[in-house]
This record gives sequence, C-alpha cells and structure tokens, in this order.
Amino acid sequence: MPQLWLAVFLLLLLPMPSATAETTDDSVALIAHPNVRAVSLHPNSARAIFAMRQRTWPDGQAANVFVLPDDDPLHARFSKELLNVFPHQLKMAWDRAVFSGTGQAPGRVSTQSEMLERVATTPGAIGYVEKGGADARVRIIELQ
Amino acid sequence: MRGSALSNSSKRALRLLLPVVGALAVTPAAAEGVMDTLQMQGFVSQGYVVTNRNNFFGPSSDSGGSLEYTEVGVNASLRPRSDVLIAAQVLSRRAGGDGSDAKPKLDHGVVDYQLPTSPHRTIGIQAGRFKNPFGFYNQTRDVAFTRPSILLPQSIYFDRTRSIALAADGLSVYGAERMGRGEIHVQAGAGWPQVDDDVEEALGLDQAPGSLKAKPSAIGQVRYEHNGGRIIAALSAANVRLRYDSRTGGPGNGEIKFQPLIFSLQYNAEKWSLTGEYALRRFKSERFDVPMLNRDDTGESGYIQYSRRILSDWQWFVRYDVLHADRSDRSGRAFEDETGLPAHTRFAKDLTVGLQWSFHPQVLLAAEYHRVDGTGWLPRRDNPDVADTERRWNMLLLQTSLRF
Repeated sequence: MPQLWLAVFLLLLLPMPSATAETTDDSVALIAHPNVRAVSLHPNSARAIFAMRQRTWPDGQAANVFVLPDDDPLHARFSKELLNVFPHQLKMAWDRAVFSGTGQAPGRVSTQSEMLERVATTPGAIGYVEKGGADARVRIIELQ
Repeated sequence: MRGSALSNSSKRALRLLLPVVGALAVTPAAAEGVMDTLQMQGFVSQGYVVTNRNNFFGPSSDSGGSLEYTEVGVNASLRPRSDVLIAAQVLSRRAGGDGSDAKPKLDHGVVDYQLPTSPHRTIGIQAGRFKNPFGFYNQTRDVAFTRPSILLPQSIYFDRTRSIALAADGLSVYGAERMGRGEIHVQAGAGWPQVDDDVEEALGLDQAPGSLKAKPSAIGQVRYEHNGGRIIAALSAANVRLRYDSRTGGPGNGEIKFQPLIFSLQYNAEKWSLTGEYALRRFKSERFDVPMLNRDDTGESGYIQYSRRILSDWQWFVRYDVLHADRSDRSGRAFEDETGLPAHTRFAKDLTVGLQWSFHPQVLLAAEYHRVDGTGWLPRRDNPDVADTERRWNMLLLQTSLRF
C-alpha cells in the first residue's frame, strides 16, 4: 500500500500536460491569407471571429474562417489553448448562429494540408495549423 | 390565413425586408464574389411519442403511439458586403394538431448590419423577422441539434402558446462588450410578434367569433459570459401585447399583455454542463365583456438540468422541471373550486432522463423518458376535454435528426 501512495505522489509531481500556458502556447499557430493586413490579433477578437459572432478583421476586411473537424485533436487544442473555449461550446455557437440568422458557419477542412491550401487561396481567410506546419503561402498571426 | 402561400405576418416581414435587400443590390462584377459567401443548411427531425395516459403531439396514448412530431427547416445566408449578413429560414413543423400545421412558414428573415468592430466591441442591427432572445434556447428551439433534449423544458419553452414567443417583425439591436475575462451581450428588439391559433386555443377564444392581433411589443436580453463561457448568466424580459377584435356574439374586444421575465444560469465544464432557468410569467387580460376572460395571473416555472458528455459522441442528461400556472394558487385548488376543472391542469412537475448519440456529425439519435405529475403544459389541442385528463402520466420520446 505505501508503494501505491508513493506512486501517486510521484505522479502528482510530474508536470501537468497542457495545463500551463508556457508549454502549450507555441503548439498551434494562427494563420491568415497574405492579403490580410493584421499582423496580430487580440484574443478577444480571435474568439469572436472563430465563434462567428464578428464577421470582419479589425480593419473591416471580411473574415473567412476555416476549422478542422470537431473531433480533430488539433482543433481541440486550438479551441482550448488559443481561444480558451471548449470545442462543444464553439460548435454550439456555430449552430445557434446558423439556425437563428445571426451568423454563418465556418468553412470546414479535413486536414492540415487542406487548411493551408484554403487559407492560402481565400482572401481574408483565417485558420490554424500546428506550429512549424505553416509555409510561405500564408501569414502567421500573433495573438497579442 | 389558410389558403394563401404565406401568412399575413410573413407578408409583413417580407415588406419590411425587401426595401433593405433592394438597397443592398450589388453590381454584376461584385456578384460573383458575393455568391461565394452563399451558405445553405437544413435539417429534418422525426419524433415518436408514446404516453401511458393523456396525449402529447398526436394520439400518443393509443397503442401505436404518435409519429406526429416532425420538424423540417432550410436556411440560406449571404454576405453581400463584409459588414452585412442576409439570412432566412423556412420551417415546417407538425406537433400533433392537423397536417395543415406543417405548412412552411418564414421562421426568420433578416438583414443584419454590423458597425466597424474593435477587439472590445461589436454592435449590430437586424431588420426583418428576428428570433426572440428568450432564455438560452428560444432562438433555435425547433432545431434538434441545438437542443440538449428532444423536448425543451416545457415549463419555459411550452408549446401551447409557442407562436408569440418565436420571432418578431421589426428591428433588433445587439451589442457585445468584451473586457478582461468576461463578455456582456445585449439585445433589444421591438416589433410585432406572430399570433397563431395556438394562442386563441390556450385562451379559450378559439370558438369565439373574433380574432387576436399582434400589437407592437418589446423584448430584450442581457447576457454575461465569463471566461470563454464557463459561466453564462442571462436575464430576458418581454412585453408582448395582443388585441382581441370581437365580432357580434363574441366576448367583446379585449387587451392582452404577456410579460415574462427569465433568469438563466449555466456552468460549462469540458465534459458536463449544469443549467438552470427560472421564469416569472405575468399574464394579464382585460376589457373583455365576459368576466371570466379578464385575468391577471403570474405563472412561475423553472428547471435544473445536468448534462454529461461521454466518449466523443454520446451525451446523457437528467432534468427536473416545474411549472405553476398561477403562483398564488400553486396547487390549483382555488382554480378547481372556482371553475370545476381539475386542479392538476394548473401545474406540472416533470422528471426527465435522456440520451443523445451523434455517431456521425450529420446525424443525431435521441431518446428520453418523462415522469410527469400534472398537465400544466399539456397541449389542449391533443386533449380537447381537460376534465378528461389524468394527473400522473409518463412519456417516452424517440427522435432521429439529420442535417445537411
């Protein structure tokens, strides 16, 4: 029995995965079409845009939102770490917008390479990829 | 109303909308880009209802149960400019009653303009037929994919006078203010609500010679979302006004006011949510020649619900939901003494457990079981003789929903 308690104690000492900002902030990158003038985005704006509540970039340009499937692990990380919302809340926000006439649904892509492709070719586009996964066709947007 | 393709209120909504749509007409060169923003979505839901006593949404207490619960909706939206959204949805719904109820209606149809935004503020205005921000669920109450259960808690989202709660034809202003870890959302609207036969039935005016008309009404909601929506609190209030135009032999002209106030609170964790809503519903009718029609009651209702997401595509919930038609006569005994009608028609206590399974993003299967004491929200059209209703009854609901 004492061994078990020791094991539990040691487990508690291990760094908590994805619990602290420093270890996770750099794992997902916001990306945008090169014609987007913004180089950074306030977290509030990012959340409002991805929740489909705000339809433009801060300078007035139309925002075109792209997301991975709800059950994609990167989508879950993106929601929780960059936007600070759970994926089920985002999904509910989209459904409410679409079915109440207050907003549109985000564009859906099924893979990160498709995400890059669509963001690179859609003016005003915003999306996300694993950091290091972005290429020269898109612009990285920093969160302020 | 019957016989024309669109109801009078739908025509009124279109009259409000068309000039605005015309003013936004785009040049042919820009039209192609605009068509890229076109989105169309829809859903179909079919329910199956079985009750041991009383009828809900059709002859549910018959041996075969009832399949008279169908919802079909199609919507389209377009962004002709970066700051403008045009959106409309047509809904066909049958919930008991007769087949003609399924005639498609304009559920919402709006032109939505958003002012230039900042990271901390969004302000917009909607013109046309806008959905009423009433509690957490009213705006998408007919869309299975947005509901935690097959039936929304009937104490607040009851079916018997649903038409006046749905949407209004007029103007609505909304705003969001984001600060620190919280967001405040405000929406205020003014317009004409829709009045269908359900309201006349609920008021006992359906056999009388005369008709109910909507008068300019107001609705508003203030909602606070903390820390990305972990905690959501909302207060909704409305002042819905109707006028009864009596004809010869009728109960005389009357005025009706419906003033609900709803407090809503929700806690969201990653795997579970706890939701509660509480409503005070003041109902006042006056100036009728028939004294029994002049009333001033305040109804009281509320529910608490725990829902839990399991695996990635299953969710179950348990809910306790209570309604009192008149908070000064919760047991309904005073009503029974006065009218001779059963006391149990004035309250309902509903314990529900249910399960949802979305094995594909476009498919939702759901089942739930209700154990009900009282018939306070039982639709009258399914049970024409209230003296014939039973106080304690159980209900099983199954539903399949598809979206496209």
